[in-house]
Amino acid sequence: MSNLLDSLRAVGGKRLRNLLVVVVLLWTLIPIAWMVLSSFKNPVDVVSSKPLVTFHPTLANYRLIFSGSNNLWPYIRSSVVAAGVSSLAATALGSLAGYGLARSTWRGRNHVAFWIISTRMAPIAAVILPLFVGFSVLHLINTIWALIIAYLSFNLPFAIWIMEAFFAEMPAGIEEAARVDGALRFQTFRRIALPLVTPGLVTTAILCLVFAWNDYAFAATFTGPGSQTLPVAASQLITETGVNWGELTAIGTIVALPMVVVGLAVRRYLVRGLTFGAISGE
Amino acid sequence: MMLPSLLILAAISLAPFFYMIWMSFHNMSLLGGAGITSSWNGGANWSRMFTDPAVGQGWLAMLIYFVATVGLELVLGVGVALLVFELVWGRNLALSFILMPMFIAPVIVGLLGRYLVNSSYGLYAWALRQTGVYGGAIFSHPVPAFVSVVLMDVWEWTPLIALITLAGLVSISPQLLEAATVDGARYRQRLRHVILPSLTGVLVIALLVRSMDALRYFSTIWLSTDGGPGNATKIIPLRLYEVAFRFFHLGYAATIGLVMLAVSILLANAFLRVLRAPKAQS
Repeated sequence: MSNLLDSLRAVGGKRLRNLLVVVVLLWTLIPIAWMVLSSFKNPVDVVSSKPLVTFHPTLANYRLIFSGSNNLWPYIRSSVVAAGVSSLAATALGSLAGYGLARSTWRGRNHVAFWIISTRMAPIAAVILPLFVGFSVLHLINTIWALIIAYLSFNLPFAIWIMEAFFAEMPAGIEEAARVDGALRFQTFRRIALPLVTPGLVTTAILCLVFAWNDYAFAATFTGPGSQTLPVAASQLITETGVNWGELTAIGTIVALPMVVVGLAVRRYLVRGLTFGAISGE
Repeated sequence: MMLPSLLILAAISLAPFFYMIWMSFHNMSLLGGAGITSSWNGGANWSRMFTDPAVGQGWLAMLIYFVATVGLELVLGVGVALLVFELVWGRNLALSFILMPMFIAPVIVGLLGRYLVNSSYGLYAWALRQTGVYGGAIFSHPVPAFVSVVLMDVWEWTPLIALITLAGLVSISPQLLEAATVDGARYRQRLRHVILPSLTGVLVIALLVRSMDALRYFSTIWLSTDGGPGNATKIIPLRLYEVAFRFFHLGYAATIGLVMLAVSILLANAFLRVLRAPKAQS
């Protein structure tokens, strides 16, 4: 009898669990779906007082943001260059330094590691101030270089930490064998160590790309016409006279979609990346 | 091998840090465009900060925001992870959907939130009105505005906690769980005595990683309520940004920024201490 009750309870529990999963999925997906749907609505439908699920879809918003004198292309180019270059530079420099850190035994190593991680944790609002003054003095304000350097300030320490975790896990024996064969340190790094951490390199590059691509605070402060990025373009649609929600949701979709795709592509390594290597994941 | 990275980091993080200390003892203002003037003013910025009600209010808002967001994310994230972990069918697919918000730029989350709760055409505002939960203008009243900026952050970052927790769940030995089941332990008992205790290490890391980012980002609030109504959602990074780039008091802003930096360094220190503790996790 008690067995029967238990299994009944188990079935009920399973139902409840499935129901909760559906609730979680709805909570997660409704805003995203609503953004994408709204980007295909005409100016009347997008601000309809009764939310419209069925409507005549239109590509007008996308056509508008890609035409005219103030179109989206320069913003896309700035976003791609700033996020792309800073991500590649951070990954290249970070894998070198991460390797060095993982293989180093000198005293003070922990202090250097701490300095690196606290750089990554520094609040953006605080970091903006000295960088702003520095960029002003160097005449880098309103150039793409300001963004690339600013993004390095959080991506480089991040890359060093993650790559350190990937290298630290690699058995040192393989490298020792190469050393015995007379390979130089850099050769060992390039030929032996680096190919073994390819997943780490890809994860690092993608996460750095996402962090930089999604930045708004630096971009809003350091850029001018000609170097503004996509998040700035989105914010510019908010004006005194009102908000063009159709175009805004279209830009939102363009900003979000590529990052969701590349982010999910490295899902296996996300845990390790996002915990700075603290947890190794699957 | 670490030299190039360390030199770059010194230039873009260490030098700015010392410069900020210098700034905090100066009266620096930004004159229309590029001109920056500075003059020594001793500890005036510091004494001003400790008596400035606006700064105190910013820290209070930050504290409430921090406790609410990180607390909710931790509880909900663990809940979501437990749900997904029990899924037999479609676990990977469900997880992919659940992770999506993490990759969306905080600015877009803020703008989307603003659209969803707009009192004349927002989807969520409409739903709240229809169900009789709330009929007013959400961003015009302090408590609803605060709740909505908290929920935006919870929407974006609960997936991170869920992902990290799930990694912890996967690493609990199946034998342990099986033994508990065979012993007749109900789900609730297993949760309390087996599952949650095994997750402690992972949860501490999740908490710290999330805490550090909670201090870093402020774009979601910036682009939704912009600290309003009044100063109800004006957390300290927003206040700092306003002091620097709306009132142009760079020296005073640097003083506020240094205190934020100190808090983030304390958190980073705690993170490292957990990592260096005898390997309880991963």
